Amino acid sequence: MAIKRYTKMAYDSADELIFGRAKNPLSYGFGIQVGAGKVITEINYAPRPGTEKSPETLRREYVDYISKDCLDRAVSIGLPDLQLETEWISQMAEARISAPVVEGQKEIIEKYHEEYGINTAVRHTIPDKRDTDNGMRVGLDKVNGAPEELFESAEIACENGADVFSVESIGGKEMADYSVTNGDVVAFLFGVGYLGSLDMTYIWPEFVNICKKNNVVPGGDTDCSGANTSMFMAGGYLDNDVQRTFSALTRAISAARTVVAWECGAVGPDKDCGYEGPICKAIAGNTTSQEGKQCHCAHCDIQSNLMASTCDLWSNESVEYHPEFGGSSVQCWLATLGNEVMLMNTSIQFKQDKVLRDLYMYADRVRGPEAYILSYDHAYEIGKAIADNGNDLYLRAKAAGETAAKILMDGYKSKELLLTRKQLEVLESSIQQFEALPDNEDAFVELCLEKYKDVPMFHPKNYGF
Amino acid sequence: MPRRKEKMLSSKDVDYSMILKRYDIDLQVEATPEEMAKSLLPKDPVLRTVAEDVLFMRLKTIMPTVKEALKDRDPLSVINEGLVAGMEIVSKLYAEHVYYLPEIMMAAKVMEVGIALAEKQLEGGKMKMKADVIMHTAEGDVHDIGKNIAVIMTRAAGYEVIDMGKDVAVDDVVAKTKEVNPLFVSGTALMTTTMSAFPRIAAKYVEEGITVPLMGCGGAVNRDYANSYELGIYSDKAAQTPLIAEKLLAGYDWKKVREEWDNIIRGE
Repeated sequence: MAIKRYTKMAYDSADELIFGRAKNPLSYGFGIQVGAGKVITEINYAPRPGTEKSPETLRREYVDYISKDCLDRAVSIGLPDLQLETEWISQMAEARISAPVVEGQKEIIEKYHEEYGINTAVRHTIPDKRDTDNGMRVGLDKVNGAPEELFESAEIACENGADVFSVESIGGKEMADYSVTNGDVVAFLFGVGYLGSLDMTYIWPEFVNICKKNNVVPGGDTDCSGANTSMFMAGGYLDNDVQRTFSALTRAISAARTVVAWECGAVGPDKDCGYEGPICKAIAGNTTSQEGKQCHCAHCDIQSNLMASTCDLWSNESVEYHPEFGGSSVQCWLATLGNEVMLMNTSIQFKQDKVLRDLYMYADRVRGPEAYILSYDHAYEIGKAIADNGNDLYLRAKAAGETAAKILMDGYKSKELLLTRKQLEVLESSIQQFEALPDNEDAFVELCLEKYKDVPMFHPKNYGF
Repeated sequence: MPRRKEKMLSSKDVDYSMILKRYDIDLQVEATPEEMAKSLLPKDPVLRTVAEDVLFMRLKTIMPTVKEALKDRDPLSVINEGLVAGMEIVSKLYAEHVYYLPEIMMAAKVMEVGIALAEKQLEGGKMKMKADVIMHTAEGDVHDIGKNIAVIMTRAAGYEVIDMGKDVAVDDVVAKTKEVNPLFVSGTALMTTTMSAFPRIAAKYVEEGITVPLMGCGGAVNRDYANSYELGIYSDKAAQTPLIAEKLLAGYDWKKVREEWDNIIRGE
């Protein structure tokens, strides 16, 4: 399929962005309709350590315990819809370990759909175990064959029962890690904005083919290894590793990379951990899953309310299965998640959804720089900057970073957004670095191949150079 | 006020102090690195210049500075009272939230460049490090950024770190431990199903009579889990690892580290 870059926005204005509705709604699974007028609950979980020791113990954990608990609780509290998401543990790259889990989850969600009428689906997210030192493209890795295994994992997931297919691919991760630890925003632009986009362009056409062959929805691919590492390390007000102005800029840049999956034929919904989702949705009109206040079982963030503003599925990111007072952990977190979804859907029915959207947004808007740029009006602006440069992978990622930087600086100068001295210093430095960059792709690539040639684990051949 | 004239709710009369508190604004330190380092820098002017190059991350001048210093001072003094002293001030500024991770990384790089030059004049050509430490990311796990940061911070604190990389087989960790007999071994895991490698390593240690403490780290690991197997100790953040290392070097065993963990990570 030809790759079609986004060069215009799906929406005419930011005000059209809202939770529960998308320009391109989807139907899949057993009655699930995403982006069609209500938000869907998406529950994510991790098996207990030790359950990976055999295919039987792992299947039992995922199907008989986790999935059953989730479905029971969903019915108990009256949720009309539930999507499960299974993020594969690394051992599941072997079909004998993963196939029983995928099949088993498909069976149980169908059973509950038939017995109770609850709409259900399951998303499978495969691991990307490619290693940059061994080689990221088919034929390069003679040690582990990880690129080949990546596509084989996609086939296993799609052939055995996935409704939605996703991955968190790692193209550009070596540069993102370097960028985050050294505070080098140009390295992130090169690594994620550019190299990450090249890698996505390499892997996603094949993923889309595999999905189409098996009638599975190709969802998308979020920048967990880049922008989320930046966000996690920026942390909250007591953390001092990465500045939150830096993590805001890396988030904006990551959106230019994440939409590549959709440009290659994926259709959404994108994954929960893609905090760049509001920007991507503004560009493409596709559905996205998001996470926030009910994902603190997995990590802390300070844009937990705001992320619900434009979501089509609402997720908890991940919780390890274990007992709590109120039931198993998946049950407890599903219930809080589901109740939040019910609130959103209530507001839609009462035609107060835009009010709730704005309240979610304002609750976090000035909590920090990353929240500020992900506020849906700002997300729209960043999305427009990407679309305006849509045919150039470098320029659009650069435009995303520059637009986000301008939004932050304007917010600071207007006193709407407070910044610490260090956050401001990093923002000012980043703006200067963006301004000093060349205005064409070839010159940028030449500059970066030289400047970053000694970054550990970076090998240009992985990206077709 | 919002930038665009959208149909958003107006925030004109909103008192944000009733909604949130920007503790990061309130907590930011007024003093500059120069002011804070003033009383901490070496008094000796030659060594002070060396320390300042590390403190202010001057990668371009560290080699000429060290070359110059070596004319008048012995290499061990240049290393310990210049380069390492500068790094210790960097660590203090990091602890005070004046310096951040990028400063630590750059300063460590500057220090390493300076040490590599000064070492050439040492008998044996190598600086004696405090102890050997092995670090790795768990079998089946490829998330290694946390481990990589810990490697830099622990090296900067004077330890010889053997970095085994990511997705390291349990048996390989045990074999390396037997070969090196390190002060401790650290393992990082981001997934619940990879951290299960740590109790397996510990069990093999016990079987073979190895008493090296095994530090569990990473997003999946918590203190309870790391303390659930014999020899297990815990580090929550990369910056805590050198603090724990100091206690192990002073003779603490894994049990005493567990007992006094809360004090150790506070630097007590």
